[in-house]
Amino acid sequence: MGEVKLFFGPNHPGMHGNFSVHMYVEGDTVERARPLPGFLHRGFEKLMERRLWYQNLALIPRICVPEPDINEVCYAMAIEKIAKIDVPERAQWIRMIILELARIASHMMSFPGIGGPLGLYTSSFWGVADRDRILDIFESLTGARIYHMFIVPGGVRKDLTPKIQDLIVKTLDYIEGRLPDYEDLIFKNRIVHTRLKGIALLDRETALELGVTGVGLRATGVPYDIRKVDPYLFYDKVDFEIPTATDGDAYSRVYLKYLEIYQSIKIIRQCLEKMPEGKVNVPLSEGSALRYKVPKGQAYVHIESTRGEYGYFMVSDGGEKPYRVAVRGASYPQTFIGVEKYLPGTRIEDVPIWLSTMDVCAPEVDR
Amino acid sequence: MKNKTMPDKDFFSPIKAWKFLFKKPVTIKVPYVKREAAERYRGFHINDWNECIGCGTCAKICPTDAIKMVEVDDLPQEYGQKPQRPVIDYGRCSFCAMCVDICTTGSLKMTREYVHISPEPEDFIFAPTEKGIHGIEEVPVGWVRDEASELLELERVEMEMLDGEERVQSFIEYVKGYSKEQAIHEAARCVECALCTDRCPQHMQIPEYIKAIWKDDLNDALKWLLKGDETNNMLGANPFSAVCGRVCTHKCEEACSIGNRGEAIAIRWLKRYIVDNVSDYKKIIEIKPAKKDKKIAIIGSGPAGLSAAYFLSTMGYDVEVFESLSKPGGVMRYGIPSYRLPDEALDKDIAFIQALGVKIHVGISVGKDISLESLKEKYDAVFISTGFSLGRSTKVPGTDHEDVLQALPLLREIRDYLRGEGPKPKIPKSLVVIGGGNVAMDVARSIARLQKVEYGQVDVKVTSLERTFDEMPADMEEIEEGSEEGIEFYPGWGPVRIIIDEEKIKGVELKKCVEVFDENGRFNPKFDEIQKLYLDADMVVEAIGQAPDYSYLPEDLKEQLEFVRGRLVTNEYRQTNIEWLFAGGDIVNGPDIIHGVADGYWAARGIDEYLSKGVK
Amino acid sequence: MTNSMNNTIERLKSIIRNLKVEEIDEREVKIEIKPEMVLNALSLLKGSGYSHLSIITAVDWIEENKFELVYILFSWNDGGKFIVSTKIDRKKAKFVTVKHLWPIARYYERELHEFFGISFEGNDDMRPLFLENWDDLPPLRKDFDPMEYSKKKFPDREYHKDVIHEAKVIRGDLNG
Repeated sequence: MGEVKLFFGPNHPGMHGNFSVHMYVEGDTVERARPLPGFLHRGFEKLMERRLWYQNLALIPRICVPEPDINEVCYAMAIEKIAKIDVPERAQWIRMIILELARIASHMMSFPGIGGPLGLYTSSFWGVADRDRILDIFESLTGARIYHMFIVPGGVRKDLTPKIQDLIVKTLDYIEGRLPDYEDLIFKNRIVHTRLKGIALLDRETALELGVTGVGLRATGVPYDIRKVDPYLFYDKVDFEIPTATDGDAYSRVYLKYLEIYQSIKIIRQCLEKMPEGKVNVPLSEGSALRYKVPKGQAYVHIESTRGEYGYFMVSDGGEKPYRVAVRGASYPQTFIGVEKYLPGTRIEDVPIWLSTMDVCAPEVDR
Repeated sequence: MKNKTMPDKDFFSPIKAWKFLFKKPVTIKVPYVKREAAERYRGFHINDWNECIGCGTCAKICPTDAIKMVEVDDLPQEYGQKPQRPVIDYGRCSFCAMCVDICTTGSLKMTREYVHISPEPEDFIFAPTEKGIHGIEEVPVGWVRDEASELLELERVEMEMLDGEERVQSFIEYVKGYSKEQAIHEAARCVECALCTDRCPQHMQIPEYIKAIWKDDLNDALKWLLKGDETNNMLGANPFSAVCGRVCTHKCEEACSIGNRGEAIAIRWLKRYIVDNVSDYKKIIEIKPAKKDKKIAIIGSGPAGLSAAYFLSTMGYDVEVFESLSKPGGVMRYGIPSYRLPDEALDKDIAFIQALGVKIHVGISVGKDISLESLKEKYDAVFISTGFSLGRSTKVPGTDHEDVLQALPLLREIRDYLRGEGPKPKIPKSLVVIGGGNVAMDVARSIARLQKVEYGQVDVKVTSLERTFDEMPADMEEIEEGSEEGIEFYPGWGPVRIIIDEEKIKGVELKKCVEVFDENGRFNPKFDEIQKLYLDADMVVEAIGQAPDYSYLPEDLKEQLEFVRGRLVTNEYRQTNIEWLFAGGDIVNGPDIIHGVADGYWAARGIDEYLSKGVK
Repeated sequence: MTNSMNNTIERLKSIIRNLKVEEIDEREVKIEIKPEMVLNALSLLKGSGYSHLSIITAVDWIEENKFELVYILFSWNDGGKFIVSTKIDRKKAKFVTVKHLWPIARYYERELHEFFGISFEGNDDMRPLFLENWDDLPPLRKDFDPMEYSKKKFPDREYHKDVIHEAKVIRGDLNG
């Protein structure tokens, strides 16, 4: 039998966002693969150069749907670093709460991510339904469900009220109570074991050489998490652990995400406890938002997103708009070199699992 | 947690999911079940049309260009408002609520509605109203601006001044002026709504020069001041920027949209910052018009006269100005005290006008030294701006005493003395000023300074018919600053007589004023004759208003001209019934410098048009 | 600055004269070096633990007529970040590849070629990556105007509804 060219995507139930892979298969096995990004390219970096510092807030969350807040935090922190703004403490804690809530919501979305390719649709429905409860929190805290546009340079837009705090506490209790159900449904499931264990292997040396970060790297046994290695906000003031695994396969990556939900819950509870009263923001600079300016300078800010190192490199020429912003999509290395070099050898039916558990995320790669 | 081993497979575990089989679903049945969004939800917009002033700041901050300002014809055309309202394209809106957070009045809010459905693409553009976009009586309000989400800076950068105790000791200008950092900071508060431009009688290009300050380009800022809108006949230019930057009545600041929720931008001080921080204007501003072979005479070198001279010479005319006093400037030189307007500031403005080739003849009184008819013969057009030079008297018994003075001649005397060009005026130990306007304040504060220097203490009393500080026509800051300098105020009293004993003034007898204006708003004071007040004084100054002096106008011309309540009637180009005669300033409009500048501007355009028609 | 970063800078100084070091914060340093020294510096940094390549990107300094190439390296050991920056001529936008040091550089370089028009010696794969049928200047160059481009390429759609009339009806000023 000869080689057959097979198109994966750009629309595929096992893939969030639009991303395409041209696969050359022989029998059931992929021989060669070519990543084809660009379906979600919207030119964010260029658009940012043409909007005021404050206006960009409405634009940047759109780079990443399941976890938009990482963009807001990176953008805000990069500006604060260049302009040397002291952000009020309370705002930093609120940012951490939002980031961890977003992490939970995004990890919840990884259950549909494997539910789709495996045909285990119950996990998809559960994941989406429980994520919605986090979105309810976002709605009451930030005023929007998906794109929050809430974390601004200098702090956050509004304060966290006791009522919203109650909602967070209740929702966290609920989710914590729900997590064992997921373990029963997914992680003890024989079919899941059969389909995920030993699949989409990535060893430590390869991961490090490629620059893979996040659970992809931690599933190979190293506890590399930017929250610990290069702490930002107040991650050095809360107690949490970095779950790791040694198998480096699809199963351990998904399971690490599941374990991280517990850690996120733990972090948020500490935040609520340690958060002082006070202001939640300071103006980015003097004057009205139409005339905010950031002094000349450059900075790189990176944070640990659900998919790994997510970063903003920002250049200001001292004007009212960013001069240049470059976004480091967390899944860039595995999306390109990973697909090209390590997807070959995978069976066709495992390709969605490979892409999904490797966190290939088209919107952040395309930008 | 770190070493938690991965779960083993278990045949029965997944089956536990069956426990949800008979539970109620977590989803809701839309549209049968209605769910209201969270309290801060950013749904659709509400805009209170009565509160909205159409400033358009929402449209400027909108990151997606979703908001357009659309004109609404039947809205009231008032100062501080524009007859337009925001129209929002929900095909573009990103529901970020920046428009709500920056709204200068707080009229914009967002609702707690989730859903807007229509198969029609046309159904996604709205001008939100009090009832939102769906016309619901009690729209549930979601996101509103609060202190934390505020996007304006409401507080003004404070202007440093000498304190009252210190400034009363001399005639040194007590307002220090902004530093560069302060000015850029203050300029950054502006939202460029241009409501100020509409309000300014001369329509100065205020947002443009404030923006230039913010960009730290003072040469550009000065261009906006002195040349205005170059594409539109220099509209908004003001040759007296150094003067107006100090003593303008700044109506613009009343119209400022930031003033709705906070303190208006300090437009006047920003203007002063520009002129104080540039060197000679003529090194920056280039005006080289094509020469026109026409000559114009201007009578009076006050704000209107010299402005007309400036604008005419930028058009290429030969201009000569006739001033009866020994220095040009009129009220700016002889009326306003030097602690508010030092000579150097005025000289800077006048120097630039002279640099354009304007000839100013001082000490020549038209009507005495030279007749108006002879000017008419020599020049192609004449502009008169002779101002209000005569004082008004209350005419109560005793006002003919030599120590009862008129405000303007006294102020003139003081300024001449301070400049070293005149004798020392008589400084009273105790002074009563009758009048509640800015001129009364100028007299009171000037004499207070002289008293402080001469006797070491201030004894000045100001009395006016108006019963409250708000009713008094003087600027509030003048009254406040005067109080700080030790001046006492007695509002609500009318003079009965000047008490004279042995040829010397002892004081003023006053009666209670119960009403200044009648129900029609006309000046018609009513008194309570029984309530009396006696104020000690050895000098009294009357500052109840000024009147024009038309004695230089020949009778035959006077008959052709039309006067309404002492003021000359002109068309919009300040042209009188006599086609070669134009007029401006206090004798036409008044009451302040910036109106005079506007008169000069429009008269210049009128004269240009008149002479371009080829008459004469 | 962390100890390891200090030591690394000392070692860099031994191979590069006039090294321009700017400390951005305690774990972030920007170093500016001449183009010809970049490869050596990057190899040294990689060997000193700064082995994780976060991103390669560029900045268009159009007024200076330069492209600034930026390599951001990160160490998992101490959390230190090095921003390695070099400026190349904008007209002859050419540099050398670093794909032998980091495989992913191949794609970053391809992206830079697509968005800035910079080519990299030793990296032949310069096919377009994200854009399809692109027919204008490389879009992240400062002289590319996206507004003009979209006006040229995409039609505008206008609304025809009298919104103000409708608003007056909603307010109750007029009867619909």
